[in-house]
Amino acid sequence: MDVKRLIEIISEDIPRKKTPIYRIVLSFIIRDFKVWWTYKFWLLLDISGIILFVITYYLFSLITTSQQVQEAGYMVGGYFTFALIGIAFQQYVHFAVQSINESIREEQWNGTMETILSTATDFKIFLLGEVCFSFIVSSALLLMSLLLGILLGAEFYTTPTSILTAIILTVLLIASHMDIGILSAGVIMKVKQGSPVTWAFSWLSQLVSGVFYPLKLLPWYLEWLGRAFPLTYSLDGIRLCLQSGKDLTSPAILSNIMCLIVFVIVATPIALYIFKVGYDAARRDGSLGQY
Amino acid sequence: MRVEDIIELFREDKPRVSSEIRHVWAVFWANFKIFLSYRTWVIMETISTVASVAMYSFMGLQVDARRVALAGYGEVDWLSFALVGVATANYLWMCISRLSHSLQHEIREGTLEPIITSLINMRSYIIGQSIRGFIVSGYFMLGVLVVGIGILRVPLVINPETILSFIAIILLMVLSYAGIGIMAAGLILVYKKGDPLTFLFASITEFLGGVLFPLKYLESIPILYAIAWLMPYTYALDAARRILINGATIFSLNVLIDVAVLLAYTIIFIPIGLRVFRWGVNRIRYEGTVATY
Repeated sequence: MDVKRLIEIISEDIPRKKTPIYRIVLSFIIRDFKVWWTYKFWLLLDISGIILFVITYYLFSLITTSQQVQEAGYMVGGYFTFALIGIAFQQYVHFAVQSINESIREEQWNGTMETILSTATDFKIFLLGEVCFSFIVSSALLLMSLLLGILLGAEFYTTPTSILTAIILTVLLIASHMDIGILSAGVIMKVKQGSPVTWAFSWLSQLVSGVFYPLKLLPWYLEWLGRAFPLTYSLDGIRLCLQSGKDLTSPAILSNIMCLIVFVIVATPIALYIFKVGYDAARRDGSLGQY
Repeated sequence: MRVEDIIELFREDKPRVSSEIRHVWAVFWANFKIFLSYRTWVIMETISTVASVAMYSFMGLQVDARRVALAGYGEVDWLSFALVGVATANYLWMCISRLSHSLQHEIREGTLEPIITSLINMRSYIIGQSIRGFIVSGYFMLGVLVVGIGILRVPLVINPETILSFIAIILLMVLSYAGIGIMAAGLILVYKKGDPLTFLFASITEFLGGVLFPLKYLESIPILYAIAWLMPYTYALDAARRILINGATIFSLNVLIDVAVLLAYTIIFIPIGLRVFRWGVNRIRYEGTVATY
C-alpha cells in the first residue's frame, strides 16, 4: 500500500478551527457537573462532613480561652472564629488540591486519560479544565461553612477594603495551592499511586500552618517550618482582614501578600515542569492510560 | 460425550473440608501480606499519627482546664482527655470500615467471585478480615498512646489492671459495632456502594461521642445529647477514660454499667448484622451479580 497516498487521503485540507480555551474549559465543567450530579450521596457526605467539623470545633471552642488568639493579633471572634477560618480555608485548599489528583486518577482508572490527551487538547488546558469544577464546588462548600459558623455565633470585624483584601489573599491562596496540586499530579502520572506530595503537604500544613492554633504556640523550629507553607501566610492575612479589619495598608498584610506572590512565581514553573516530566515519561512508557 | 461422565471424573470422593480455623488463618494471612506490601502507606500513616498527636497537644495549650473538669473525670488535663478519645475513635473507625472497604476492593478487583465460589465459608472470611483489621488498627492506636505517654508525657494510669481492663473495653467496643460493620458489608454486596455510609456513621460517632469536648456541652441541644447516649461508642469512651485517666478497672461500678450496655448492643447487633450479610450474599448469588461492579 502507498502510505503517502493514504496519508494524503485522510489529511484534512484545512485544519479544523481551534476551539477557544473557554469552550474547552466549559466542556470540562459541564462534564464534571454531570458526573458529580450522579453521585448525590457523595455531595450529601461532603456537606454533612463540613457541618460536623464546624459544629465539633464550635463545641471545642466552648472549653478554650481566647487569650492566645487575641495575643496573636486577631481581635474579634475568639477561638471559634479563628478555628472556623482555619478549617474552612484549609478544607477549601485540601479539597481543591486533592481533587486534581483524584480526577487524574479517575481518568486513568476509567481509561479516558489517553483519549483526552491524544486529542488536540493541550495538557495545560486539560489541567485547567480538571480543576475548575472542583474549585466551584469547594468555593460553595467554603461559603457554606462560613455561613454555618456565623449561625453558630462566629463574629467578624470587616470593612469593604478588608473584605476585598481577603478576596485577594484567597486568590493567591488558590494560585499557590494549584501549583502543589499540579506538581503532585505530575508525580501520579508516573508512579500511578496516591501522591506522597499531597499527603505530606496536607498533614504538615495542618500541623504547622496555624489552622487550629496561633503559630506562637509552636516551638521555634516548627514555627519556622510553617513559614515554608503558603497556607500560613494566607490564613494569617485572611484572619487579620476578617477578625481585625486590616487591609492592604497594613504592613503585616502586605508582607503576607508579597510572600504568596513570591511563592507563586517560584513554584509555578517548577510545578509545570514536574508535571511535564511525569506526563512525558508516561507517554514515553506508553503508560499514560494505565492505572 | 455424556456430561454425567465428566462430572463423575471431576468429582472428589470426599470433598476437601479444611477446618474453619485454617480458613480464617488463610484469609487473615493473605490480607496481612497485602498490608505489609504497602510499606509506603504504613510509613505515611505512622507519621500522620505522630503529627496528629502533636497537633492535639498544641491545641490543648488553648484549653481552659476548669472547663474540662465538667467532663466528670476530675482535675484532668485536656490532652489526656482527648488522647483516649482520638485513639479509640480511630481504632473504631478502622475496624468497622475494614470489612466494607475490603469487600468493595474485592468487587472492584474481581476477586469476590472466586472467594464466594471457593470452599471458604463467608463467616471465616468475615472473621479473617476482622482480625486483620483489629491488628492493623491496634498498631495505630498503640502508636497514638505511645507518642502521647512516651513523648508528650500525658499522665495516663498505666498498670497491668488498667491495661487489661482497657483491652477488654476495646474488644467490647469493637464487638458492639461489629454487627453494624457486617451489616454495611452485606449492603455493599448488593448495592455496590455504602462505604460513604460507614464514613458518615463514623464521623457522627466521633462527633457525638465527645472525643474533643465533654458531652456536658451537648446538653444544650437535647436531641443530640440523647442520640449521643444511644451510641455504644459513648459508653466505650466513658469506660476507657475512667480506666486510663482515673485508674478504674473493669470491675469498678461506673465501668460495669458501661460494660453491660456494650454487651447488650453486641447481643442485639451481631445477629442482625449476620442476617443482613447472609441476605446480601444469597441475593447476589441468586441474581448473578457477584462479579458486577
